[in-house]
Amino acid sequence: MADTTVGCTVNGVARRSTVEARRTLADFLREDCGLTGTHLGCEHGVCGACTVLVDGEAVRSCLMFAVQAEGCEITTVEGLTSPDGTLSPLQAAFREEHGLQCGFCTPGFIVSATAFLRDRPHPSEQEIREALSGNLCRCTGYQGIIKAVASVAAEGRG
Amino acid sequence: MKPSAFEYHAPRSVEEAVGLLSELGDDAKVLAGGQSLVPMLAMRLAVFGHLVDVTRIPELRGVGPAADGSVTIGAATADTALERDAGLGRTVPLLPRVTPLVGHFQIRNRGTLGGSVAHADPAAEYPAVVLALDAELAARSVRGERRLPAAGFFDGLWSTALAPDELLTSITFPVWSGRCGFGVAEFARRHGDFAIAGAVVGVELDGDDRMRRAAVGLFGLGPTPVRAGQLEKEVGGRPVTDCDAAQLGAIAVSDLSDVPSDMNGTAAYRKRVGAAMVARAWSSAVTEAQQARSGQEVHHG
Amino acid sequence: MTGMRYVGQRVVRREDPRLVTGHGTYVDDLPARDALHVAFVRSNVARGRIVHLDTAAALEVPGVVAALTAADLNGLVREEWLDYEGPPGPGPRREFRLLADGDVRFVGEPVVMVLAESRYAAEDGAELVDLEVDPQPPVVRMEDAVAPGAPLVHPHRSSNVAGRITPPEDPELDAVFASAAHVVTETFDQHRYTCVPLETRGILASWDPFRAQMQVWVSTQGPHGVRTQLARVLGLGEHQVRVVMPDVGGGFGQKMFLVPEEIGVPLASRLVGRPVKWIEDRRENLMSGQHAREDRVSVSFAVDGEGRILGARADFLENVGAFPAGGASSIGFSSAVFPGPYRIPRYRATARAVYTNTTGRCSYRGPWMVETVAREQMMDRVAAELGMDPLELRRRNVVRGGDLPYTTAAGLTYDQVTAAETLDQAADIAGYDAFRDRQAQLRAEGRLVGIGISLFTEPSGIARGTLSTEAATVRVGFNGKVEVVTSSASHGQSLETTIAQVVADELGVDLDDVMVVQGDTATSPYGPGTGGSRSAVLSSGAARTASRRVRDKIVQIAAHRLEAAPEDLEVSAGRVSVAGTPVAGVTFAELARTAYAAPETLPPGEEAGLEASARYSPSSPFTWSNACHICTCEVDPTTGEVTLDRYVVSEDCGVMINPNVVEGQIAGGVVQGIGGVLYEQMLYDGDGNPLTTTFVDYLLPTTTEVPMIEYGHIETPAPTNEGGHKGLGEGGAIGAPPAVINAVNDALAPCGVRLTAQPLGPAQIIAALETASAPAGERSH
Repeated sequence: MADTTVGCTVNGVARRSTVEARRTLADFLREDCGLTGTHLGCEHGVCGACTVLVDGEAVRSCLMFAVQAEGCEITTVEGLTSPDGTLSPLQAAFREEHGLQCGFCTPGFIVSATAFLRDRPHPSEQEIREALSGNLCRCTGYQGIIKAVASVAAEGRG
Repeated sequence: MKPSAFEYHAPRSVEEAVGLLSELGDDAKVLAGGQSLVPMLAMRLAVFGHLVDVTRIPELRGVGPAADGSVTIGAATADTALERDAGLGRTVPLLPRVTPLVGHFQIRNRGTLGGSVAHADPAAEYPAVVLALDAELAARSVRGERRLPAAGFFDGLWSTALAPDELLTSITFPVWSGRCGFGVAEFARRHGDFAIAGAVVGVELDGDDRMRRAAVGLFGLGPTPVRAGQLEKEVGGRPVTDCDAAQLGAIAVSDLSDVPSDMNGTAAYRKRVGAAMVARAWSSAVTEAQQARSGQEVHHG
Repeated sequence: MTGMRYVGQRVVRREDPRLVTGHGTYVDDLPARDALHVAFVRSNVARGRIVHLDTAAALEVPGVVAALTAADLNGLVREEWLDYEGPPGPGPRREFRLLADGDVRFVGEPVVMVLAESRYAAEDGAELVDLEVDPQPPVVRMEDAVAPGAPLVHPHRSSNVAGRITPPEDPELDAVFASAAHVVTETFDQHRYTCVPLETRGILASWDPFRAQMQVWVSTQGPHGVRTQLARVLGLGEHQVRVVMPDVGGGFGQKMFLVPEEIGVPLASRLVGRPVKWIEDRRENLMSGQHAREDRVSVSFAVDGEGRILGARADFLENVGAFPAGGASSIGFSSAVFPGPYRIPRYRATARAVYTNTTGRCSYRGPWMVETVAREQMMDRVAAELGMDPLELRRRNVVRGGDLPYTTAAGLTYDQVTAAETLDQAADIAGYDAFRDRQAQLRAEGRLVGIGISLFTEPSGIARGTLSTEAATVRVGFNGKVEVVTSSASHGQSLETTIAQVVADELGVDLDDVMVVQGDTATSPYGPGTGGSRSAVLSSGAARTASRRVRDKIVQIAAHRLEAAPEDLEVSAGRVSVAGTPVAGVTFAELARTAYAAPETLPPGEEAGLEASARYSPSSPFTWSNACHICTCEVDPTTGEVTLDRYVVSEDCGVMINPNVVEGQIAGGVVQGIGGVLYEQMLYDGDGNPLTTTFVDYLLPTTTEVPMIEYGHIETPAPTNEGGHKGLGEGGAIGAPPAVINAVNDALAPCGVRLTAQPLGPAQIIAALETASAPAGERSH
C-alpha cells in the first residue's frame, strides 16, 4: 500500500519509520512518534492547532505528508520546553496572561508565536494579531493570547 | 478526513519530474506546497494515484535576474522567500506586497508561487500579478520547453494552458523602470481569507505626469483573474490629474461577465467591492509614482 | 479563623503547565493500540427512502473489519433516555435513532458504521459502501415545517411540532395594549450557528468480558451522565460502566449529551470484542455534530408616553432539526426569561419548537439567549419609535435595588440583581455620552458609527431536577496534603484552579498543597457536570461545605491535643495554632497521623480519618447574575464591513473566585457572540444541503476581527450560596449578539436601515443599504 520510509529529526531525536505515503506529518508525529501535543482541529489547514516547525519554519502538519519531511528537522510544542520542564518564555506567558482555557489550540499558537517572535522580536499589536490570525481559538476570545505574545515581545524574551 | 492512498514520488530534477508526469498520465498530480491540494485530498474531493513532489528540485527554487533585466522566479519558490527577498521590493514590488495577503504565514512557508499560479484560483493574488505584469511562464514536458504569455494562460476556473504532462518551471516578470508606482487592495471576510474582490495596479508616469502605462489585474471577479483592459486603454497618455480613481474603479468592473455569486456576496456586490479596490489600489500606485522624481530610480518599499 | 488568601486573586492555573507544553491528554491522545477506528457513511440527502444499501465492497478493503448498519446495531439499544428527561411516559418522546433505518432525515445522518484498523482504512471502506436514496422533498426552514401540508420529518408523528407553549388568553393584557400610547411590534430572526469546540467529539470504548465492564474515555461535559445513559443503552448496571473524561477541548453545550454516533461505539466494541474509537472530524462536526440557535421571535410592546413598558407579548419559533439533543429545545426557558432586567407588568408568551430535515439542535452557551437577542433589539426599536435614547429607555424600565425582591411577569424572582448598576457602569466606561457627541460629528462627515447596548439577567447555577446538586470529597492525606475529588469536571473552565482556591482558603492551607481530582466515575461522586453556568455556585459550594467539615474536625482534634478552646485556634498554611501564641501549634501532618493511626487519642466521639464529603444544592434553583454589554462600531459604506472599536462588559457575578477566569469566560463568550452576528452561519440550501461544513466556509472570528474587551466588575454577593458566587459562563454569548446588532443598526440608522436578521456580513449590509437607497456616501481610502 504505497509504503515509504522517512527519516527525520524530531525534537532532536533521529527517527526512521516506514509509513504509508498518505500519512500526514501530523498523524506521524502523534501516532508514530507519540507526540500528541500536536493537535488536529480541522485537518484541512485552517485551525492551526497542528502547527509545528519544519526546519525552523512554522507549518501546518496536517497539510504535509510525513514522507515530505525526509531529512527535515521538526520541532513540536513538546520540543520547546527545557528537558527539566522549565517552560519557554511563551509557554510561561500564556499561563501568566490566562492565554488558554481548554488548551486544545494552545500548542499551535505557541509554536506559531515562537517562530513569529524569532523573526520579528519587536512587533506591534497589529502585527501580532495578523501573525496569529491563522490559528483559531474558541475559548479565550484571543485576549490573553495577544497579551501573552505582546508581553514576551516587550521583555525581549522571544 | 484522511486522503486516499497514493504513490509518492520525489524527483530531484525537472527532467525526472516531467518523465514521471509523462509516464503516469492523468493519474498523477504535481504536489508543490500542497496548501490547496492537500485539503482537497484530505476531503477526498480529489483523488490521484500518484503525487509528484517538486519541492525537492533545486532548479525550481530561487529568485534570479535574467539577462534582459527581467526577474525569473522558480516555480517552487516559497511565498515566504518572495516576502523576504531583498531585491524584489525594487524589481517586482507587487510580489512582496501581495504576499502578506496570501493566507497566513504558516501557509506561506509551504505555499509556492508556481503552485498558486498553476492552481489558478480566481480569487488568488499571484495569478492576478502574473496577468497584470504580462509575465512569461516557462513549462517543461518530455516534449521540451514552452514559454507561455500570461495573457491566455488562465483559461477557466482552476484551469490553465498547461498540458496535463507539463510542469510549470519558472515565471519571468518584467522589471518596470522610470516613475512607477504600485498598489494592492483586496477585501476579504477575515484577514488571510481568499478575497471577495481585489486589484493589483502598476502605473508609470512620464515627466509631465501623464500616464505612460498602466496595468490593472483583478481577482475574485470572474472564473479567472482578469485584466482591466478598458481602464488601461482609457488612461493611456492622460494627465494623472484627469484620472479619477472612483471612476476608474467603475470602468474596471463595468464590462465584467461571469462574476461569481455565493454566500459571501452576489455578483453585483463583488463588482461594487471590486470597483472600490481598484480605486484604492490605483490611488496608492499613483501617489507612489508621483513621489518618484523623473529620472531617479524608485525605491519601492 | 481562616481568611481569603486565594479567593479573589488572579491565581495562575494549575492546568496550564501540562497544556502549554503539549502534555495534556485529550481522548485522541490516549494509547489505543488494539482499537478499531470508525468512519461513518452518512446520508447526502435531506429526506428520502433508502432503496439500496450494500456493504460488501467495503468489507473487501484491507483493514476493514466490519460495516454495521441499523439492522446490526439499532436493536441492541436497550433504553436510550437521559436522566434529564426521565423514563418514557405517555407523552411524545424526543426523537432518537442510532443509524438511519429505511429512510434518511437529514444530510449527515449516519447510515453505516465502518470499523477498520485505522481511520484511513475506515474511510476507504466507507467510500465503497453502496448507498442509494430516493430523495423526497425535505422541510428545511422552520416556517415551512408548520405550513399546511408540510411533509413530515418523522412520519409516525402527526405534525412537525416538537413542543408547544400556549397559555390561556389574557384579556387584561389585551386591554393594556388597547389603551397604550404606543404599541410597537417587530419580528426578529436569529440564524443557525453553533458551538464549534476546537476539539471535536471523540470516544474510545473497550468492553472487558472478564470483568464484565465497559470502560469508556470520552470528550464530554459530564462523565456521570454518560455513564448512566450508556448503562441503560447497554443493559448494564452503572457499576459495570466506567467513564473517564480526560482533558476536553471545549464543549459549550455540544458535549452535554452523547450523539448516536457516540452511543454506537461501546455497542460496537461489545459486538466485535475489540476497543473501538471514533474521533469526529471537522466536517462531521460542522455537518452533523449538532447545531444551535435558529429562532424567530415576534414581539409586541405596549409603552406609555414616557417610555414605560406596560405589557409585552412574544411568540417564539424554534428549529430543533431532525434529532435534537436532550434538553435542546429552549422555548420554555426563552419565554420565561424574556422580561429580563426590566419592569414589565404583564406578559404573555407563546412558542413552538419544530422538527426539520436538518441537523439536530443542541444546547449552546445560553441556549435560551434568543430572548435577550430579541428583547434588547426591541428596546432599541421602541426607543427609536419614541425618539428616545436607548440608554435612557433602559434606565426608565430597569429593575432597581428598591424594587427587590422583584418577581417578573413570567413568575421568576430576582432576590438580588444589579442591572441598573451595570448599565451605569458600562455606560461610564464606554463614555456613552461623549460617544454620542462624537457620533454626531462623524455622521455629519458621512461616517457610519454606532453604539449598542445589551442588558440582561443570567439564570446561573441552574439547580433543578437532575441538575440539582454537585458533590465533593475533601481529604487530608497521611502527610497532611489535600485532595478534593469533585463530581463536576472542567473542559476549559479552570476548575482545577478555582476549586483549589476555595478549598485552600476554607481549610487554611497553601494552594500548592491542594490537588483537584476530577473526571472519572470510578473515583468521583455522582454529579451532572458542567453546563448552565453552575460550577462556581454548585461545585464550589460542595467543595466549600466538605472543606468546612474537615476543618471543623481538624480544629476539634487540634483543640483536644493543644488543650485549647476551639474558638481560640487559628488555621493557616496547614497548621493550627493558638491565637496570640503561634509557637503553640500542630501541623495538618501531625493531626492526620493522629486521625488515621492513633484514633484512640482523638477527642471522645470523634470519628477516625480526616475526610468529609458534601453534596450541595444552592438555596434557589437560579442564582441570578447580570451584565451590561456596550460596544461601538463603524460600518464601511463601500464594502459593508463592520469594525468593532470598543467592547465594554460590566457584570456582577458576585464574589469572584479568580478574576482571570471570570474575564476569560466573558471574553470567550463575547467573541462567540461577535462571531455569530458578524461571521458564522450554518447555511443550508433549499434541498437541505449544508453549505458550510469546513472552516473555509464556516467563519470563526480570529485575532484580527476582535477588539480588546474592557471589564467592569460589580461584586454583590449572591444570597443563594455561602461563597456568594454567581455563575457567568454563558453571559458573554448571551449579551454580545444584541450589543453588536444594536451597534450596527445604530450606525446604519442615518441610512434608514434596521436589520432584524443576521448574520450581518458585509454583503448583507450593502444589500440593505442599497434597498434603503439612502445616500451611503462613497468614501475613498
